[in-house]
Amino acid sequence: MNRELESLDAVFREMPDLKVEHTGPRRTRIQVEADALPTLLELLKGRAGYLHLSAISCVDWPDTEEFELVYHLWSYQVSNLISAHTRIPYDPGRYVSVYDLHAPAVYFERDIHEMFGVWFEGCPDQEPFILTEWQGPPPMRKSFDTVAYVNDTFEWREYQPEWANDPSGGKG
Amino acid sequence: MSTDPNQAVACRTVDAEERSLLGRVLDRIADHCRARSLFVLHYCTGCGAIELPPTMTSRFDLERVGMQPMVTPRQADILLITGYLSVKTLKRVVMTYEQMQGPKYVIGLGSCTINGGMYWNSYATIKLLDRYIPVDNYIAGCMPRPEAIQQVFLDLMGRIDRGEAQAWKDYYRRYDWYLGQQQQLFGTNWQAPTDVVGEAIRYRLVGEQTLGSHTAHLERYAPYYDQLGIIRPEPARMKARPQLEVVSR
Amino acid sequence: MRPENYKPVQHSASHEYELYFGPNHPGIEGNYALKCVLSGDVVQSLRADGGYLHRGFEKIMEERLWIQNVALVPRICVPDPVPMEETYARAVEMLGGLEIPKRAQWIRALMLEASRVCAHLFYFGGHAATMGMYSNMFWGVTDRDLILDIFEEITGARIYHMYITPGGVRRDLPEGVLDRLSKVLDYVESRLPEFDNLFFDNAVVINRATGVGTLTTEQALSWGVTGPNLRACGLPFDVRRDDPYLIYDELDFDIPTETAGDAWARTLVRREELLQSIRILRQIIATLPKVGGPIRCALPNPLAWNVPAGSVYARTESSKGELGFFVVSKGGAKPWRVHVRGPSSMHAVHVLERLGPGSRLEDVAQIMFSLDACPPEVDR
Ligand code: SF4
Repeated sequence: MNRELESLDAVFREMPDLKVEHTGPRRTRIQVEADALPTLLELLKGRAGYLHLSAISCVDWPDTEEFELVYHLWSYQVSNLISAHTRIPYDPGRYVSVYDLHAPAVYFERDIHEMFGVWFEGCPDQEPFILTEWQGPPPMRKSFDTVAYVNDTFEWREYQPEWANDPSGGKG
Repeated sequence: MSTDPNQAVACRTVDAEERSLLGRVLDRIADHCRARSLFVLHYCTGCGAIELPPTMTSRFDLERVGMQPMVTPRQADILLITGYLSVKTLKRVVMTYEQMQGPKYVIGLGSCTINGGMYWNSYATIKLLDRYIPVDNYIAGCMPRPEAIQQVFLDLMGRIDRGEAQAWKDYYRRYDWYLGQQQQLFGTNWQAPTDVVGEAIRYRLVGEQTLGSHTAHLERYAPYYDQLGIIRPEPARMKARPQLEVVSR
Repeated sequence: MRPENYKPVQHSASHEYELYFGPNHPGIEGNYALKCVLSGDVVQSLRADGGYLHRGFEKIMEERLWIQNVALVPRICVPDPVPMEETYARAVEMLGGLEIPKRAQWIRALMLEASRVCAHLFYFGGHAATMGMYSNMFWGVTDRDLILDIFEEITGARIYHMYITPGGVRRDLPEGVLDRLSKVLDYVESRLPEFDNLFFDNAVVINRATGVGTLTTEQALSWGVTGPNLRACGLPFDVRRDDPYLIYDELDFDIPTETAGDAWARTLVRREELLQSIRILRQIIATLPKVGGPIRCALPNPLAWNVPAGSVYARTESSKGELGFFVVSKGGAKPWRVHVRGPSSMHAVHVLERLGPGSRLEDVAQIMFSLDACPPEVDR
């Protein structure tokens, strides 16, 4: 554990009031304010060798009307995974892109924009990718009820118990 | 140009009954031959596609029943829908299906095509495949084993041979209904590039529900719809149009 | 198309044209589309178009109980489903603080490695097929079926096993299955020289695949490439060794690398990995009879199971690269959020779009296959 945290010393010197938590073997959790996150990622990449952006996850918290963005970074040198958590409010639902630091971010940001509707300032590509033919609201938001949508849009097959006896449906 | 196939093809006018009898015999012979050489277009729409390579390669060997994968829709006889269909894929499936030449057969693989299967509450996938294109056979299972896939092919072959696999004609006879179902998902302006009504005329499969309120917007591309000898229900949406008179030939 | 309906699109005079590659195309892996802009047969730019396999997994997982999701997760990646089950189960275990019995860990590793062998055999066939060589496909798929038979014996299903559940595995190994597995492995290994003759030593194939879709080490690092594709660029990174899970730190295996970074290097790395997986499986077969004990830890009633609140990121090395599950629980009966980081999401979109330009049209399918991109994982 210490080796992992030692490698972060340079980062702590710059950003002394980080909330760091050791959550398991090779897992570190950092809670950070939204405006400090790009600096943190830059320091992690430049000073501590966290080169690999494994994923960016977005979590919807309707109680506080916030999105939680989680940046998962992996260091090939010290074999540690940092999850940097930050929160942004629903309104205006904008954040900065970290594309200039980690090129793979563009895919995750595009995905989050599509599924949650968060806009990433400076992300080069936020065109629809999966939902090009979808007119509804961003589907991953908690306010979107998929069961209600399905009930409105699709019909159900009527169940006929005698099918169980004759799998061909009486046709042959 | 005469659109009456009886006059356009034969030198003498063929008596309708004679023609249909001869046609039926020929059809039966053709069906018998066709059932022994089927080309399968498998559209890998879902996870079921992973059981097709084993079915087609050496272990289960589909070729011994005279079937082969085919890569283009125009030469294929069977369209294999291998699993769940997202709405985005369904659009492509409808286009693919309409490009295939009749007679054509559709097999729905897995419970996802039957009733939505695992993804019954997913906003992205459709639940009932036969609402959008006619389906000949379904295979239950999630996912169906290669043996089940082979069994359904044998079953379909038998039905083609006996002249029973006629679901594709339903698409022409009730095109308006199918198009309506499709439009419900894709928007009311939806139409595939294929001229299905024209094909229905060509195959002489125009039924009572071939035209209707959903096909109304196709008419601006094909003025000859008006000259058809078809009794068409008065579509509710076309109020501005005058009462159509039935042209008898 | 009806002639009346046809409106020619007016383009400015150009030597470039647009070509849609997929979604229903024999050269493409699964249901996925690429929009290529070409000049002659050289790709100028390439745009990936996914979502044909979108099922809204992450959404519907939030609607189901923790235990119901066990049935859902393997369906995320079709050719290699076991790592999905494993990663989800491990994420839930990490959240709930469950201790997996030793025997279950060994059985899970066995399943994972057997699945990797399957996926790689499938891959050889797929890669050869993109060059128009189909015998390899027939061989690979048929040999893979022997392992599917073993899966069927252990779990009752060929592809989707739903065997790895949070807390352990569903049931113990049947009698004698390890012997049969070891025979299958001997057979697969004895087939490799024949694969060599047909494919790996084939001058045509080598010429066709070298220098296609080359990734440099820097590109691979900065584009987030993982798994065999990263190792083909000379970086020996493997989640199994660097972030070990289950009993992988007790196993003895090498991490094969190549330096060229092209399609051929990626295939060679996978061939070597197949051998390593067989080596791991042999170790497991030798050890497993000595590991006794239960196969599942005590679980609360699965239908009323509230997993403690928290968030974890579990990672696994799948046959395609690094697979991550970010699972958030609010302490309820259902997951609050599950985010799947499929290895192919990076390879099939980001990397492919950048590798495509400059290559020939006939190589596009090969590049996609050699990255082992799996569309269902991208679309989720
Ligand atoms: S029926 Fe099962 S195997 Fe088939 S597509 Fe649906 S989920 Fe996949």
